[in-house]
Amino acid sequence: MASPQVDESFSALLKEEYKGRKLTDPINTVKDKWELLPAFLKVKGLVKQHLDSFNYFIETDLKKIVKANEYVFSDVKRDFYIRYRDIRVGRTSDQSPDCKGISEDPHKCRLRDMDYTAPIYADIEYVRGTKVIRNRNVPLGDMPIMLRSKSCVLDGLNSQEMAAREECPIDPGGYFIINGTERVILIQEQLSKNRIIVEADEKKGIVQASVTSSTHERKSKTYIICKNGKLYLKHNSIAEDMPIVVMLKAAGITSDLEILQLVCGNNPQYQDLFAINFEEAAKLQIYTQQQALLYVGKRVKTIRRAGSPRLTQLQEGIEAIATTIIAHLTVSNLNFREKALYMATMARRVLMTMHNPSMVDDRDYVGNKRLELAGQLMSLLFEDLFKKFNSDLKIAIDKGMQKKGVAVFDAVILMQSQIHQITLGLSRAITTGNWSLKRFKMERAGVTHVLSRLSYISALGMMTRISSQFEKSRKVSGPRALQPSQFGMLCTSDTPEGEACGLVKNLALMTHITTDDEEEPIKRLCLLLGCEDILSIDSATLYSDGNYGIFVNGTLVGTTRYPIKFVRDFRELRRTGRVSEFISIFTNTHQTAVHIATDGGRVCRPLIIIDDKTQQPRVEAWHLEKLLKGEWAFDDFLKHGLVEYLDVNEENDALIALYERDMEQEPEMRFTHLEIEPFTVLGAVAGLIPYPHHNQSPRNTYQCAMGKQAIGAIAYNQFRRIDTLLYFMVYPQQPMVKTKTIELIQYDKLPAGQNATVAVMSYSGYDIEDALVLNKSSIDRGFGRCQAVYKNTINLKKYTNNLDSLPGMRVDENNKPIFAHASIERDGLGEVGMRVVQGQVFANKHSYVGDPTGPAQPLNSEAYRETPAYYKGPEPAYIDQVLMTKDKRDETLVKVLLRQTRRPELGDKFSSRHGQKGVCGIIVQQEDLPFNDNGISPDIIMNPHGFPSRMTVGKMIELISGKAGVLNGSLEYGTCFGGSKLEEMSQILVDKGFSYSGKDMLYSGITGECLQAYIFFGPIYYQKLKHMVLDKMHARARGPRAVLTRQPTEGRSRDGGLRLGEMERDCVIAYGASQLLLERLMLSSDAFDVDVCNNCGLMGYSSWCNTCKSSEYVIKMTIPYAAKLLFQELLSMNIAPRLRLGDVF
Amino acid sequence: MSSPQKEAFSAPTSISHAAQGQAPSKNLGVRYNCAQCGASFTLGKTDSIRCKECGHRVIYKARTKKMVQFEAR
Repeated sequence: MASPQVDESFSALLKEEYKGRKLTDPINTVKDKWELLPAFLKVKGLVKQHLDSFNYFIETDLKKIVKANEYVFSDVKRDFYIRYRDIRVGRTSDQSPDCKGISEDPHKCRLRDMDYTAPIYADIEYVRGTKVIRNRNVPLGDMPIMLRSKSCVLDGLNSQEMAAREECPIDPGGYFIINGTERVILIQEQLSKNRIIVEADEKKGIVQASVTSSTHERKSKTYIICKNGKLYLKHNSIAEDMPIVVMLKAAGITSDLEILQLVCGNNPQYQDLFAINFEEAAKLQIYTQQQALLYVGKRVKTIRRAGSPRLTQLQEGIEAIATTIIAHLTVSNLNFREKALYMATMARRVLMTMHNPSMVDDRDYVGNKRLELAGQLMSLLFEDLFKKFNSDLKIAIDKGMQKKGVAVFDAVILMQSQIHQITLGLSRAITTGNWSLKRFKMERAGVTHVLSRLSYISALGMMTRISSQFEKSRKVSGPRALQPSQFGMLCTSDTPEGEACGLVKNLALMTHITTDDEEEPIKRLCLLLGCEDILSIDSATLYSDGNYGIFVNGTLVGTTRYPIKFVRDFRELRRTGRVSEFISIFTNTHQTAVHIATDGGRVCRPLIIIDDKTQQPRVEAWHLEKLLKGEWAFDDFLKHGLVEYLDVNEENDALIALYERDMEQEPEMRFTHLEIEPFTVLGAVAGLIPYPHHNQSPRNTYQCAMGKQAIGAIAYNQFRRIDTLLYFMVYPQQPMVKTKTIELIQYDKLPAGQNATVAVMSYSGYDIEDALVLNKSSIDRGFGRCQAVYKNTINLKKYTNNLDSLPGMRVDENNKPIFAHASIERDGLGEVGMRVVQGQVFANKHSYVGDPTGPAQPLNSEAYRETPAYYKGPEPAYIDQVLMTKDKRDETLVKVLLRQTRRPELGDKFSSRHGQKGVCGIIVQQEDLPFNDNGISPDIIMNPHGFPSRMTVGKMIELISGKAGVLNGSLEYGTCFGGSKLEEMSQILVDKGFSYSGKDMLYSGITGECLQAYIFFGPIYYQKLKHMVLDKMHARARGPRAVLTRQPTEGRSRDGGLRLGEMERDCVIAYGASQLLLERLMLSSDAFDVDVCNNCGLMGYSSWCNTCKSSEYVIKMTIPYAAKLLFQELLSMNIAPRLRLGDVF
Repeated sequence: MSSPQKEAFSAPTSISHAAQGQAPSKNLGVRYNCAQCGASFTLGKTDSIRCKECGHRVIYKARTKKMVQFEAR
């Protein structure tokens, strides 16, 4: 396969001790560089994006929002004001009497169906009477707290402390608890804001540049489009498309020469393309700024609030340019030059694209995307609620002050009556997932999801999920396709199949998502680094040759003639820690521009820097030694300029070596960075697959979907959790063939599967179509055994004088409890540990159904109705836990947890880690199974037909590595692009006396003869999937019917019928058995005797026609009940279906 | 949890309410455990749901003293 030299670079990944390593060798530098990965995850964690974003919101954004909406004034009294001086969210650490943190532990919130929140406190200053009063720590509602964020009680706790709080130390956090349910705000993918995107429609010949301006106040989109070769500016608030020259003149660039210079520079081709636009303005006779502004002002759609003064057309024009067009640029002192330059830049980009169609931007390019996280969404929501709170407060204050007779008016009291609005608004948005913000006309549903706790992996997979805003129905492949730029940022394998394929993505292992950074210091820094201020340079030199524009967050701030030096200097500052490590800078030679990005939501990842001069990686052996000793953390590598974060755009400026050997082999390439570990292209879920680089790619994708359905350990606190439905595996095992990712995400501590000894052979014929043959003795020993626990909640409602109650059990004449009440105790609740079978009660609740405000009633009166909770399952269950508590409304809440232990049965679904799923087809006695010379018989027999078309070579290598590991007493690795070498594994097999190929000689368990072929035989990690026959089996002969239609009910949960549909009916007719249909579908099931009046054709009753008031023409006949219902429903809609009866014979 | 006192199973003392079809409701004898401190106690019909030792509001029912037979498969 590969040369021995290559093998050596992988050997570092195989061993776990570092002591025996030659650290003194100067050339042998970064063999252990993958150690940076656990260090990164230690600092950053897998869900660090969520936590960082939420922390930023609590610590920075919250204060910014309040600062921006600082004052509340009153219309009634001019000198009244409220000013918010500061805001904070209560921390558990600062427990003072008037400032509290989180009151309940997260796990208690789960159990008690409460919200996990911390109070928000504001410091305010307001006028009471004639005095200015300052109040500290005024409560302002409750903020839902993200678990494991800095405000959470779990922040910084060690494993013991976590255990004391009944929390799992491995649980990633990053979700909220509202009403006792864990909810995640999924990462949202969007096109970046405040950036110019150029698009072209080749069929229609349209080229347009657009920018979505997003500020705290408003969101609007400005376009520069090319129509018939002429450029126009389009904006929602302007009625018609404005010629670009008019807009530029309105923005103060009145000289045609300057316009030409700003848009085209001295490029004659661009000038030719643009010249036509001047005619347009000349035709309109617009030469001055005044004329242009009037022209614009006339066409502005104005939405004036009542009471605000009317503006002249000129003022409207100024207002439009200053505030509505390209709204993210702020205009001060009516200096429109920056805006004019922005419009000119947009126009230039359109011209460039018209000239050279390949200059369009790619909307699907990851660099043009921003990921919106929980913190940003929460801040949008909070800002909206805070503004609404303040405007409501103002109205209330105005009302309060108009009231006569109140001596001193205190606004804080009014404030306290309103704060529930904020609390409620926040928690409601998270519970429903509906983010509706009137300000931005934003109406987003499905932002939050219930955290799936099927297994540890499913919860983790949910935290790294990214949902896209694109419509699922649209039939464009672009957004769904794999993007080259997502390498290392987004997982290449983990996406669902079907509808959401490619639209739902997952983060790769080392991805970081940036938070917002200050823009102003960066602009100043640019000037210091030799950038010429855009406001002071001459228009003629702007686009002169060799001049590079410098853009900060998409806005032109200056130019430089030395872009290479500028970029290098800037990077040097970043590497020395003078500038935040998440600010990216890159050159775009096509646009002759240097772009600096400080905004939040960019995806980036760390890479090792290769020194420019020595051409060696800056990370050396002694650095890693320090890391292993614990003297250094990941941040030290950043601080010392050894490692840096690159975002997708900056990656284009870099040449990244995948391995060190690439640098040695191609020294002339001048690499700039070295990959930390190539397996980080995959995410956490795809990282479970051993040898994924040997599999056909869709198989890895299938496994990503199935890994989330595998039953296993959920968390260390799994037996303390009371969830609606949980599955546990009874004896989970860590896989024999692990990956580095498995260790990093600690899947080996919470595994979901078992190492089954698999024989790849055909057996019994019950193994066709991927069915598996299971060994009965293995099942008896606990293979695939799982527990299912489900919760039943009983709420005891309180009324004024009555409440729902739990009377004890009912007894028969022998003082024995009746059958249905056999498992309950005298408190009316199930006895912990008792068995319940179908029809037995585990909570004998009696509900009050009388007048809610009526007087107290005795329990045996009419006002109480028996509403017991029955057990409905086909197999008996055991009462595992009965929890009693009070919920947040102080009503009694009882949760009864039922448990079932399930052993694998026919039809249960299993899967290996290679997208190879199958159901159990037959369970065979161990005696009948084949065995080898050691007497080993397989747990599972898999049919070899599963291999040729699926091409899951990884599974075969997993078997060989696993077998070698079993024989050797070691755990082997199947890490992506690395892992244990097949040759070495084969060598182990040979050394232990087995065939190198993994094939064994087996004897038939039935005849005892030696099998004709050698059988591929060894351990493969198998997962039991949540689809179990017990949850799905359903049959019915007779059963419940719907009241209205008298048709059988639908669905398993309602014991419904199995539908004989139209197509099945067609079959019976085609067969010629239509009388069978008549008999089965009507006479024996749906027959209904009606009295039809042959005079009016309507139905009567009791031989009486109510329409004709006679019984003369009434005839008895039988029709289907469904037909009778149809006639009556038609009657109700004012359509009279009349029956005309005649003799058949 | 904290103190596993061995108590023999005692049959409920007076069940003569079969005529009413209801077992006496003001019963005791059902033991509860506190989720916080693990204290074991009983509650009357009208008692509020609270630990009698620490006042914690989450309590669990104690496991039955009856014999429960599991099928070993």
